[in-house]
Amino acid sequence: MPTLTIDGIEVTVPDKTNLIEAAKMVGAEIPHYCYHPGLSVAGNCRMCLVEIEKAPKLAIGCFTPCQEGMVVHTSTEKVLQARKDVLEFLLINHPLDCPVCDQAGECWLQIYYMKHGQYESRMMEDKIKKHKKATAIGPTVTLDQERCILCARCVRFCDEISKTSELGIFNRGNHAELDVFPGKELNNKYSGNVVDICPVGALTDRDFRFQCRVWYLDTQDSICPGCSRGCNIQVHYNLDRPHHAEGRRVLRLKPRFNPEVNKYWICDEGRYGYKFIDDESRILMPQVMRNGGMEFVSWDEALKASAEKIKASIPEELGVLASPQLTNEELYLIRKLFVEELGATQVEFRVPPKEEGYSDDYLVKADKNPNTKGAEEIGLAVGSAEEILKAAAEKKLSALVIFVHNLVNSGLDDSLVKAALEGVETLIFIGSNFSDTSEKANVILPSATYAEKSGTFANSEGRVQRIHEAVPPLGESLPEWQILNELARALGLDWDYQGTEHIFAELAKDVPAFANLTYEILGDQGQTLGYVPPAEEEALVEHGELEAVRAT
Amino acid sequence: MAVEFPPEVKREFDELVAKYEQTRAALLPVLHLAQREFGYISPEVEEYVAGLMELPPTKVHEVVTFYTLYHKTQPGKHVIRLCKTLSCHLLGAHTIKDHLCRKIGLENGHGTTPDGRFTLELVECLGACEFAPMMQVDERYYGPLTPEKIDEIIDGLTDEPVVENVDEG
Repeated sequence: MPTLTIDGIEVTVPDKTNLIEAAKMVGAEIPHYCYHPGLSVAGNCRMCLVEIEKAPKLAIGCFTPCQEGMVVHTSTEKVLQARKDVLEFLLINHPLDCPVCDQAGECWLQIYYMKHGQYESRMMEDKIKKHKKATAIGPTVTLDQERCILCARCVRFCDEISKTSELGIFNRGNHAELDVFPGKELNNKYSGNVVDICPVGALTDRDFRFQCRVWYLDTQDSICPGCSRGCNIQVHYNLDRPHHAEGRRVLRLKPRFNPEVNKYWICDEGRYGYKFIDDESRILMPQVMRNGGMEFVSWDEALKASAEKIKASIPEELGVLASPQLTNEELYLIRKLFVEELGATQVEFRVPPKEEGYSDDYLVKADKNPNTKGAEEIGLAVGSAEEILKAAAEKKLSALVIFVHNLVNSGLDDSLVKAALEGVETLIFIGSNFSDTSEKANVILPSATYAEKSGTFANSEGRVQRIHEAVPPLGESLPEWQILNELARALGLDWDYQGTEHIFAELAKDVPAFANLTYEILGDQGQTLGYVPPAEEEALVEHGELEAVRAT
Repeated sequence: MAVEFPPEVKREFDELVAKYEQTRAALLPVLHLAQREFGYISPEVEEYVAGLMELPPTKVHEVVTFYTLYHKTQPGKHVIRLCKTLSCHLLGAHTIKDHLCRKIGLENGHGTTPDGRFTLELVECLGACEFAPMMQVDERYYGPLTPEKIDEIIDGLTDEPVVENVDEG
């Protein structure tokens, strides 16, 4: 734990901390391109030069470990001049195409040039022409070689994180250029990350390119619903300029740092899995079967119709298929309403997938639901999906409520699904998008997607993490917790949940695994189930009981 | 061209690799071996070498494209390296070059002749300034060059590569 002085402020840092990270701790920003905390150190961009007292020349912050008694200056005249000079070198062959570059607004060449450059160009020679301009090098990424500053972050990412090594820097000197091997492409499960870490406009996202200028985007923290890993993400959306991107509001997802879950990365499956949010298949209004056809109705009418059908069923005739796509708050309300209040005995949330999902030993999990763990803890599994459908097919159910699932495209037997969906008298579908299953419903209640509501998911390791509303629910759709609240009221219950925090507080009291958790404790990085507050933990350690508590 | 070392070359490869602590360290000599064997280093050869050495093909391609002494395309039967550095330049290397290009039938001043007989590379100092202006044909140095001497050398070449190291005259 060396203690050093950076810009006159004394700081003690863990061993092996480099100067860039140490400077962050005292609030000093050392500009850099090639350094990335999630990758090995390359030290090739030379942007992070700092002055160290008693050292003969400037040193790069990324590759200089902190040492006892070091005195570092990050913004002396000498350092500022060095940055300016380095930028001048980096920009020698860089084109002046910012007006048409999709990176503009989040480009570190622009940002640092305005902060540290601002020199008069002395470049009289012609710029070196590179080979690939705006060339797709794989399904997700576009390469623009002349914009590249050869920091090699993407090369190291493909070597160290995705371990696929598709990218390299070929040729040398002025002619060096980033590329894929001749005839090959950049195609791996994590390829989109190279766009995030590219500090300039050399690698851009084919999906996002030219959809919207980044300064029109707003951001909201969330959790990827793509699998049970629960990667932390940021939802980037645009509400002010509906004429962009054909009116789509959510325009891209970006990974959000969480050292316990996904570090700096997300997989492509999750990154590009947001399309359903603004898809044409979204259900925008409640619908009820009348005179042999589905009719658009008001929420009041739809809820009344649902309540009547549910009320008319005795508990044994009521089936509920909840979903591990739902938040803990919603699953808790489903349990409370259908199991505790109505006494339903045919309740399940698991529906086997058509085929085993892709998984690897890094981030991607085979279970493509974000909240299976939460649903298990809340205790929703009273029956099994197959039993429920059998009962429906045998006309033993009078009402079946299905949340989210598309049974027709699942691992369940096709003929059983068909018989069940047609055999049940009343099928209430609550979901965000039309599917083969919603088509068979008598009542359709439109629900919000994860980007349009708040709540929590528990990932496969039991980490409970919050999602936040980024954009308002599309059309007349509502978050499931709100639908459940209204449905309970339509059934004559005295429910009045004002928000998900309200529900979560009740859930934390009721479900042992969630004990002690609050939204405040979850924060933006989440907290694991079975959480013991630090003060209590100390007491338990003293009495040697912590292990016993954890085991429960 | 089947990209695979014949057994005796594969043995040479194994010997080369055995000289180093890490397989990767043998990459440069292995690529020279491959160039000798296949004539030039095509992407297929890079992939073959990468497979043998358990490296990603991109890493081999990085090395091949970095160094000028690896041929990326099929060179002519004779590779001529004409020095363009100071001593040779002062003693008229540019007129020698013009004459040489006319003699071997090369229009744009570098690369391989249409008949595939010659490849001309303009190179930095080969360390034989006493011969200036000079050139290297395959493995042999020639100089000091005059247009007449160029004609004599080119006319005297067979289809076999020139092997001797230094021109004694």
